[in-house]
Amino acid sequence: MQAITRRDFLRTLALGAGALALPAGLAGCQADGTATLPPTQAQAASWQTAAASAAPSRTPQPSPEAETSSPSTATSAPAPHLAVARNGEPQEMVRRAIAALGGIAQFVPQNSTVIIKPNICTGYHSYEYAATTNPWVVAALVSLCLEAGARKVQVMDHPFGGPPAQAYVTSGIAEQVHSAGGEMVEMARFKFLSTPIPAGRSLRQAEIYDEILTADVLINVPIAKHHSLARLTLGMKNLMGVIQDRSAIHQDLGQRLADLSSLVRPALTVVDAVRMLMANGPTGGSLDDVVQANTVIASADIVAADSLAATLFGLQPEDLSYVRAGVEMGLGRSDLAALRIEEIDLGG
Amino acid sequence: MAAKQRTGPGVGGAWRRLRRLTQWISLGVFVLLVLALPSAWPAWLRQLPMQLDPLTSLAQAIASHQVVSGALVGLGVLALGLIFGRGWCGWVCPLGTLLDGLTPRRRPVKRKAPRAHRQAGDDPRWPPDSWRKIKYLLLLAVLAAALVGSTLLLVLDPLTILLRGLGSGLLPLFDALARGLETRLYQVPALRQAVTALDQALRPALLPVDPLAARAPWLMAAVLASVTLLNLVAPRFWCRYLCPLGALLGVLARFALVQRRVNEACKSCGLCARACPTGAIQEQRGYASDPAECTLCLDCQPACPRQAIGFQGYDLRQSLLRQEYDPNRREALLVLGGSLAGAWLVGQPWAAGATSQALQPPGGAQNHLVDKCIRCGACVRACPTGALQPAMLEAGLEGLWSPVLIPRLGYCDYGCNTCGSVCPVEAIPRLELADKRRQVIGVAVIDRQRCLAWSGQSPCIICEEMCPAPTKAISLESTPVKAPGGESVILQTPIVHPRRCIGCGICEYKCPVEGAAAIRVYPAGVTFHGAGAGEGSHGERRRRGQP
Repeated sequence: MQAITRRDFLRTLALGAGALALPAGLAGCQADGTATLPPTQAQAASWQTAAASAAPSRTPQPSPEAETSSPSTATSAPAPHLAVARNGEPQEMVRRAIAALGGIAQFVPQNSTVIIKPNICTGYHSYEYAATTNPWVVAALVSLCLEAGARKVQVMDHPFGGPPAQAYVTSGIAEQVHSAGGEMVEMARFKFLSTPIPAGRSLRQAEIYDEILTADVLINVPIAKHHSLARLTLGMKNLMGVIQDRSAIHQDLGQRLADLSSLVRPALTVVDAVRMLMANGPTGGSLDDVVQANTVIASADIVAADSLAATLFGLQPEDLSYVRAGVEMGLGRSDLAALRIEEIDLGG
Repeated sequence: MAAKQRTGPGVGGAWRRLRRLTQWISLGVFVLLVLALPSAWPAWLRQLPMQLDPLTSLAQAIASHQVVSGALVGLGVLALGLIFGRGWCGWVCPLGTLLDGLTPRRRPVKRKAPRAHRQAGDDPRWPPDSWRKIKYLLLLAVLAAALVGSTLLLVLDPLTILLRGLGSGLLPLFDALARGLETRLYQVPALRQAVTALDQALRPALLPVDPLAARAPWLMAAVLASVTLLNLVAPRFWCRYLCPLGALLGVLARFALVQRRVNEACKSCGLCARACPTGAIQEQRGYASDPAECTLCLDCQPACPRQAIGFQGYDLRQSLLRQEYDPNRREALLVLGGSLAGAWLVGQPWAAGATSQALQPPGGAQNHLVDKCIRCGACVRACPTGALQPAMLEAGLEGLWSPVLIPRLGYCDYGCNTCGSVCPVEAIPRLELADKRRQVIGVAVIDRQRCLAWSGQSPCIICEEMCPAPTKAISLESTPVKAPGGESVILQTPIVHPRRCIGCGICEYKCPVEGAAAIRVYPAGVTFHGAGAGEGSHGERRRRGQP
């Protein structure tokens, strides 16, 4: 064995220390750059593209139009704002609802990377308890994306109860996603990066899962269920899973959820109301609280999807603070009477 | 007493290679046991390595007055001591393997070496042989304490030292180091792909995805480190002078069927003594060895140029031979008395003062966990949320390093019953998941002075949201409260329903109040007095007024 000299040892040590210090220094520069100025669209964009020096090569998700103008989800084409499928098998309902919106290709370009964000809040119960998104709803979306030519379809959530691996399995989602060809990803802690929310009114900065922002397509698949503070957890509430410090969002919840939705923009929101949890949410655990509604709602407009889902519980869209805040910020529409809604009944 | 043919150096070499192999397999199994995900191995396989330990099995059986099925394995190993003596130490013990591995390779023995001295050193010999008695005295202390129902001294067992050191010490430290590096490097956009690749290699195969909570990793690692650092004083210092498990097998080794023997071919060259890692070979007795010190490692055999060393034969004279360093009667009695008195004292209320504050793993309190726990830390390592931690003084002195649940570090996962399934001695009962979900660990109590909602500081319902009980053990009521500005506001305020609360602690874990949580779990016995107390703490019942 060859002995190293003291000089070699010290040199190696210094190099190692330097290597460790370097990223901290770089990160510091970066943070300073954004902190001194009021956050702007351009800055948010440059943050999102992740490469510190490169100019934003890909348009970030919150387009200026969405920030300033009224809802812009539907173009002049006669595609509906909302599609509702009822009384079918979960997979069929998803497929029909998305077909009604104009097909998955509208949302998922060839070769894109897709992240599907279901609600897998805990690892306590199987999907029957309606605390976690229906596995076949998630699987149908995975298949659709792959059929549309997506390069990679990842499914992830950040459970608050129990380890992610356990939650993925217990919910039944892992099995269905794998057989559909998707990938279950456990969200690494260090990928939650401090991110400014330029349009935020109450929440102007949050630690947000980096890859959620950098993925080409984000598909939001909440389950419709009871929640004591938000009343219901639906699409906008489901986005809470992409931030690290959830307690920060519990105050001024409605506005802060809307703030988050202004930055994290799912291309598609699919509300799973196959089974709905009516009480003791979000965790559930009693089948007595579960109602089989056999409904799937799909929309590119997260606010509209939530608005329609609220009516399944006998509530008005305005009863949900985050829907009100979302409309106020121009993130979407809640005027159901004026929206084109395509109803698909697979029953009978 | 003639040596058989297998005393030749070549044969001895083959045996030694086999020994090294079993040693490294054993250490490897322990390391894998620490690294493996709780779900990766079936429960019986996770329990097995610790169950091999004869000392914990024996002491635990004495202390708890029952022989659990897992202890039979260890008692079987103990019985093997009557055949192979301390062969365990040389062939199986993973801590011994670690110590061997960390010992600088002894210089190859030269055949023509001058009359060698004992390995442990030249005159004046240090450390003195009289230190060897320490291990017997520690063994006596362990067994005496067990006799009066305390397993506390199993903290001295070598396998528990290793498992705690790796699982509650080095692993969390390594995890924190890796996580810190990943977090920092990930801030640099150019490195993100590389860090992601690194992370995928590390987790979940070697490290958990979520941070591994640990309350005293330095302490646990330091205990293991001290044991290994003592190797600098003498090879296998721990095994020679301190190990109570070695002492237990050493007692049996005197009667063992396989013992080292030196035949007439010996010319007293002393090479064997130089080769012996435990210094068991005694020049003054014609290079015979003390069977209680010999680990049957066979290192001496190929060192002997005359094939004078064999391993067989029970010899009564040797069995009854007293070594000068064996503890004398006075020392034995002193330690016996000290241990008994100590075990009694730590059980006294003043030493157990904080016991009532300790939350134990599900079913542990009901099962008298502290008296049965062998302190191996398997449950601590297996707990997926980091809720279980080695007790410092919460469970009293007698509960030192037994598992306690610290909700501020982690919560008892409603979907998990791993701790009971990995416990090698059933100190934590093996509960089906449905039963564990009904097992009361404690009960949550809200501190209204500090609660964000009750004190009017801000709306907050997190404890209610997190509560996993199917019918939530925390409900919300709209209550007029005084905001900090003095005005009255209506907020949703949480109320605990003790009869539904199992004390899993997720409310305390997630409570956003800084420092100590505004909702805390106490052992169920503390907040309620008598069967008629019904729902609610005193404060809660007073406030409600009406049913």
